[in-house]
Amino acid sequence: MSPATFPSAVVTPEQIETGNSLWHDAWSRLRKNRLAVCGGATLLVLALLCSFGPFFAQSYQDQNLDLGAAGPSATHWLGTDTLGRDLFSRILFGGRISMMVGLVATFVALAIGVTYGAVAGFFGGKIDAVMMRIVDIMYALPFTIFVILLMVFFGRNIFLLFFAIGAVEWLTMARIVRGQIISIKKMEYIEAARALGLGKRRIIFRHMIPNILGPIIVYTTLTIPAVMLLEAFLSFLGLGVQPPMSSWGVLIKDGAEKMEEFWWLLVFPGGVFSLTLFSLNFLGDGLRDALDVRSSKD
Amino acid sequence: MLRFTFRRLLQIIPVLWIIITATFFMIRFVPGGPFTAEKAVTPEILRNLEAHYGLNKPLYQQYFDYMGSLLRGDLGPSFKYPNRTVNEIIGDKLPTSLELGFISLAVALTIGITLGTLAAVKRNSWLDYVCSSTAMIGICVPTFVLGPLLVLTFAIHFQWLNASGWYGPTDRILPCLTLGCVYAAYIARLTRGGMLEVLNQDYIRTARAKGASEARVVFKHALRGGLLPVVSFLGPGIAGILTGSFVIETIFQIPGLGREFVNSAFNRDYTLVLGTVILYASLIVILNLVVDIVQIWLNPKLKFE
Repeated sequence: MSPATFPSAVVTPEQIETGNSLWHDAWSRLRKNRLAVCGGATLLVLALLCSFGPFFAQSYQDQNLDLGAAGPSATHWLGTDTLGRDLFSRILFGGRISMMVGLVATFVALAIGVTYGAVAGFFGGKIDAVMMRIVDIMYALPFTIFVILLMVFFGRNIFLLFFAIGAVEWLTMARIVRGQIISIKKMEYIEAARALGLGKRRIIFRHMIPNILGPIIVYTTLTIPAVMLLEAFLSFLGLGVQPPMSSWGVLIKDGAEKMEEFWWLLVFPGGVFSLTLFSLNFLGDGLRDALDVRSSKD
Repeated sequence: MLRFTFRRLLQIIPVLWIIITATFFMIRFVPGGPFTAEKAVTPEILRNLEAHYGLNKPLYQQYFDYMGSLLRGDLGPSFKYPNRTVNEIIGDKLPTSLELGFISLAVALTIGITLGTLAAVKRNSWLDYVCSSTAMIGICVPTFVLGPLLVLTFAIHFQWLNASGWYGPTDRILPCLTLGCVYAAYIARLTRGGMLEVLNQDYIRTARAKGASEARVVFKHALRGGLLPVVSFLGPGIAGILTGSFVIETIFQIPGLGREFVNSAFNRDYTLVLGTVILYASLIVILNLVVDIVQIWLNPKLKFE
């Protein structure tokens, strides 16, 4: 990663007027991180293509059995699969599901992790000790195995998939949030909120969490690729998204089965998936450098 | 130190008990038994089968029976492979999976530590960028993409190696490389971070001031502290390699326990699923404990936390 860049040393009058809020600072630092910007731009393009592309592209369900599996050509940019379906459209449709799983499952993980960590950090003492001990123990458990069991036994339902993945990925978020909450617990503005007689829930959600959004956002961007990876892993084993729906994991699985004759079925979905993971990781790293107050000072 | 080890050992028991109990009941509450998938069995035969495996007893009775035989180290008969016990199947398949896991771990550590150390010592040089971007590629190209791609290149295009199977020593190359690469990438990043932190410390400057050679400074003084993050990653890393083997064994058609586990889950082979989960869980929990102990041994500061 490129080293943290400094905000401009020359202070112009406009800057004094607008002030340098944390977000303003972070944005200017992020903009100078070329890899992170590239990652963000790639993600934006992919997200737009996956959301709106299918309205314009050929239908992913249109079969053309006469054509069968054909390599990349002018009409089918990325070739077709064995049923003659356009691979480009299939990747766009698969991307919708993959990204949706990524976002929804991350949201589940975020909700559980932030609440859990905030409660543990806010109450402290015995409650904190017990709650964090539980997290420590859960870290040691083979969760992937449980997700596999859940998916096998309770049908391969996409909502279960969201929940199962989210339920696995919240642990680190809980740890991060707890640490942050503890560090701001003794601040004056929290004291003030207490003195005003606000309820505990209001203090946590209205006063504390908005002040630790930075680390939460950073870790969220790093959770999305982990979640998408787990979804693709399950789909590859045949346990995730089920036909007729498809995700990138499903496409990669299909491609790996047919790669001996039709290499493009593996290479393109695999490439797009890896590109997405790359972009998310670079953006996440960039955000961490941009929002981490500690690293910006040294 | 001894007290710590003992306390952690005691903690393992309730954790394993919870895992076993949770898995046991989860499997039993699932719609569809192990014999429902088979071609329409007549009700009589079904009853006989259930009686034979003790499935007609009340649930709590089955649970206590299972726990009892588990304490004696008996994981029961397999539901899908008649006349074979779960112990036999595990004994048959586990060595293959262990071999795959150990070689992959060795690959991951060798590549990862080398790349990470190089990147840290030559910080911000082209070498650093090459090592760091290689690591990023390793993290972002998942095993189930990398594996088939390697097969496509080395087995199908160049025909140097077999695409699948687990017979000769050359059959180990592709699976272990695939599984090891991802973790090599994580280890490289952690090594680089850890080494950078250590190389800035006073005792490294002291070593240099005493006239120690650069190699001695890096290998003798820095590496021990610099590898701490790698050691703490080994717990989740080993767990990841174990679960990663499910995919690798499927891709390369390796007759290991990982593939058996996924199949047994599909087949609803209750006892085999339970046995495998118990085995994996114990392995992971115990290895985590070992990692914790090694960590404290390497970094006595942690003892007071």
